[in-house]
Amino acid sequence: MAQEAHGALHDLLAVRGVTRRDFLKYCGSVAAMLGLSETMAPQIAAALEGAPKLMPALWLNGGSCTGCTESIAQVDTPDVATIVLDYLSFEYFETIMAAAGSWAEKNITKRAEEGGYILIYEGSVMTGQDGNTLFVGGGPENEGAKKGIEILEEAAKNAAAVIAVGSCAVDGGWIYGYPNASEATGVAAWLQHKGITTPVVSMPTCPVNPEWVVAMVVQLLLVADRDPAKFLQVTPMVKVPYTDAITGEKVTLLMPKAIYGQTIHDNCPRRGHFENGEFVTELGSKEEAMGYCLYKVGCKGPQTFTQCPVTRWNRRASWCVESGAPCIGCGGLNWVDNNSPFLKRMSDMRIGDTFVQPGTIGAAVGAVAAAGLVVHGIGMKAAGRIGDGPPMEEMKAYDRKRLAKKGGDK
Amino acid sequence: MARVVVDPVTRIEGHLRVEVEVTNGKVSDAWVSGTLWRGMEKVLVNRAPEDAFWVAQRICGVCPISHSHASAQSCEDALGIKIPNNARIIRNLIEAAQYLHSHILWFYTLAALDYVNPVNALSADIADTYALAQAAGTRITDFGAVAARLKAFVENGQLSIFTGHEGWFGVGAEKHPGYVLPPELDLIATAHYLEALELQAVAAEIIGIMGGKFPHQMTSIPGGTAFVPTEQKLDDILFRFTRVKEFIDTALIPDTLAIAPYILDAASFGGGCGNFLSWGVFEAEDLDPYNRYLPRGFVETSKGLTAQEVGPDDVTEDVDHSWYDVPSGLNPKEGKTVPKWEQYSTSGKYSWGKAARCKGVPAEVGPLSRMLVAYVNGRPEVKSIIDDTLAKLSAAAGAQLQPTVLVSLLGRVAARNLEAKVVADWSIEWVNELIAALKGGDSSFFVTDRADSGQGAGLWEAPRGSVGHWMTVEGGKIANYQVVAPTTWDIAPRDSKGVPGPMEQALIGTPVVDSERPLEVLRVAHSFDP
Repeated sequence: MAQEAHGALHDLLAVRGVTRRDFLKYCGSVAAMLGLSETMAPQIAAALEGAPKLMPALWLNGGSCTGCTESIAQVDTPDVATIVLDYLSFEYFETIMAAAGSWAEKNITKRAEEGGYILIYEGSVMTGQDGNTLFVGGGPENEGAKKGIEILEEAAKNAAAVIAVGSCAVDGGWIYGYPNASEATGVAAWLQHKGITTPVVSMPTCPVNPEWVVAMVVQLLLVADRDPAKFLQVTPMVKVPYTDAITGEKVTLLMPKAIYGQTIHDNCPRRGHFENGEFVTELGSKEEAMGYCLYKVGCKGPQTFTQCPVTRWNRRASWCVESGAPCIGCGGLNWVDNNSPFLKRMSDMRIGDTFVQPGTIGAAVGAVAAAGLVVHGIGMKAAGRIGDGPPMEEMKAYDRKRLAKKGGDK
Repeated sequence: MARVVVDPVTRIEGHLRVEVEVTNGKVSDAWVSGTLWRGMEKVLVNRAPEDAFWVAQRICGVCPISHSHASAQSCEDALGIKIPNNARIIRNLIEAAQYLHSHILWFYTLAALDYVNPVNALSADIADTYALAQAAGTRITDFGAVAARLKAFVENGQLSIFTGHEGWFGVGAEKHPGYVLPPELDLIATAHYLEALELQAVAAEIIGIMGGKFPHQMTSIPGGTAFVPTEQKLDDILFRFTRVKEFIDTALIPDTLAIAPYILDAASFGGGCGNFLSWGVFEAEDLDPYNRYLPRGFVETSKGLTAQEVGPDDVTEDVDHSWYDVPSGLNPKEGKTVPKWEQYSTSGKYSWGKAARCKGVPAEVGPLSRMLVAYVNGRPEVKSIIDDTLAKLSAAAGAQLQPTVLVSLLGRVAARNLEAKVVADWSIEWVNELIAALKGGDSSFFVTDRADSGQGAGLWEAPRGSVGHWMTVEGGKIANYQVVAPTTWDIAPRDSKGVPGPMEQALIGTPVVDSERPLEVLRVAHSFDP
């Protein structure tokens, strides 16, 4: 029987009109996302289809807008029903679970006692007003209610690993923005502060891109044989250090390198226009209709390390820059403070860890910047293009000063 | 008398707690609490007025589009910006896509499990299921495959999101008496539950195409839109709207009509305060809020079924029962946000939500409010679908149902689904309107000219209800920002006069069959899509 040969997923996909070829294609794109060879696709498909026993998972919402849950509902094939029903057993998932109230809360406590699960956390860690900016689960007159931070600590302590999904869970997100009146912080910082050593994988952007979460689930099932400890060993990570203002902790965030290893600018389809000096200077204009570069209207793609242009959003329908809007850098740390005003271009443009000015490209490239450009694979043959490119944007006085210091020729 | 608590109320956006007092099998008093405070308004102060468009929508991951549009409008109102006609249509389309996404998601993913017992679906007869689906005129799918999959899933023993169901739905003698649908209808609804997951994503793709991504869109920036459509993109949008409309016509509406006869008792409770506010949504070419496709108005049913004019100055917020250290009764224009937690007490302070009031009284917001305001205004599409539905349900009930029957739990559920149908029909019309405008040579999408100071309000409607953003700009920076979100209206606690909020009033009088599993309480809470 087909069911025995391929598992329930195969039948389900057939019901939905997804052919095996489509499915393998999808697995190939997951492989690419994981930095694996596309020849791994059949093995990924086998791992997904096999699914003998589901991996227990708890999905908790802290100070969230539920946008990351919403985003997960927008995942490409295999869709959310498949994830929920075939890979992960979400024993707690506030937004979609059947049970409510104490019937629901029992599931967290029971699973936390038994262990052997992954914890997915959405939303900020709410520490303000002595932790009372979020509370859940009280009886009459709120007797026995738990603070959001207490639930996080209980669930994280015995988890095999924690995945912090979305910028709020990573470092507090927009809520962490000045003045952070509710004293929001990120999961990694809070657990470190509380001496909880469960490893945390951080997956920013606001909301999280669902394909990336699926990629991590696949990584866990396939490459790591369902062993979260092995998952952390075999998944290449970028280490992002920062100091959390709420706890004072110096934290090193772990982000999957395949997803957070390159800037948006590195992979942007409008990149050619950037190099040609073809910019949109007014939103919704004829330059936009021609798909020019949005850098001058504030695009934060050059300093934002995510794979958005490759994965795209909403089942690959489009993504921010393709729709005509400048990237606002929602995948960066403390992204609202660091990237606003969103429509103003940054006086420093950072490509990777190197500061450059767009005026330098095609005109004059300082040695440091040039090295940076080469390292980050800017697709121009620098030497050949210098001096004969089309006219660049007008240079600001501020930029000229900085360039002079860096040894530029203007 | 016994206190019954549902905390958390699951299958909603955000964190909600409901505490009720049950006397002789009915709710005799209720306290509804928002249990999370994040501080959006304070984050926006001192930033560029345009930036609020991106940040403020992150209040809600399920209705970010409406918040983004209310924010953009408050900025445009404050700085004297009139958006181009193309931008108006594009915003209507993005908003419509969110409505369709949200209403489908609400009915099938969030609310259905209050009425549909998927475990019960296992005992459905497959042949009977096809017959029932055909008789109900609802969408046929491979019901056998869904049943087989459900069986495998339950037998696997790992119940995922249904974990704890044995307590909640109950099995055998413990089966909750509130689940009354025949197993065949449970199976149809479960099959459509799975299909709906696909269709809500198709609706969201439309936002992805026009707004860059969903949740949290990018393009309705104050001044117009950054999205310049190509022919290809217009095709992609039209195709998807057509697909979603087909699902609404062939599943959402027939399913609603098939389930309603089993829960007609829900027409006799859950009505609430009887005051209905709509700021109006889907802008017409003249940009007049009373002329929006779903118009602005305020209906106090105690004064008869007529709509009064209503505006930003009619709103006040009380904090006598909320954890804020600010005066009660302020208009959002002067509103302040100073949090101050103290002990939860149903006789004192018990919510992070403020008590929003319209003309001094609590006001329900949401599809029921919009449909009532549009109905009394004689909006033809709304009038015909409501009259038509009432006629169909009258036949099932064996009695002539009047429009006032809408002020109930059943009415609130039905209004949302009927609205989805009306908006789906309009969405196709608007895509064609946009195509015609572009063919006519209109290439304006965005205006850059703006003042650098001013005060304004953006009053709009999210799928779940009225949303208002108030912005004061001084010297190019936000000096004050206040939001009155849909949920703020509906889950409002008691006000200065001790009058309970809309959801609290709707809960009072609700029957509770099993106080360990207060399913009816959950149904009323969910009907607001809080």
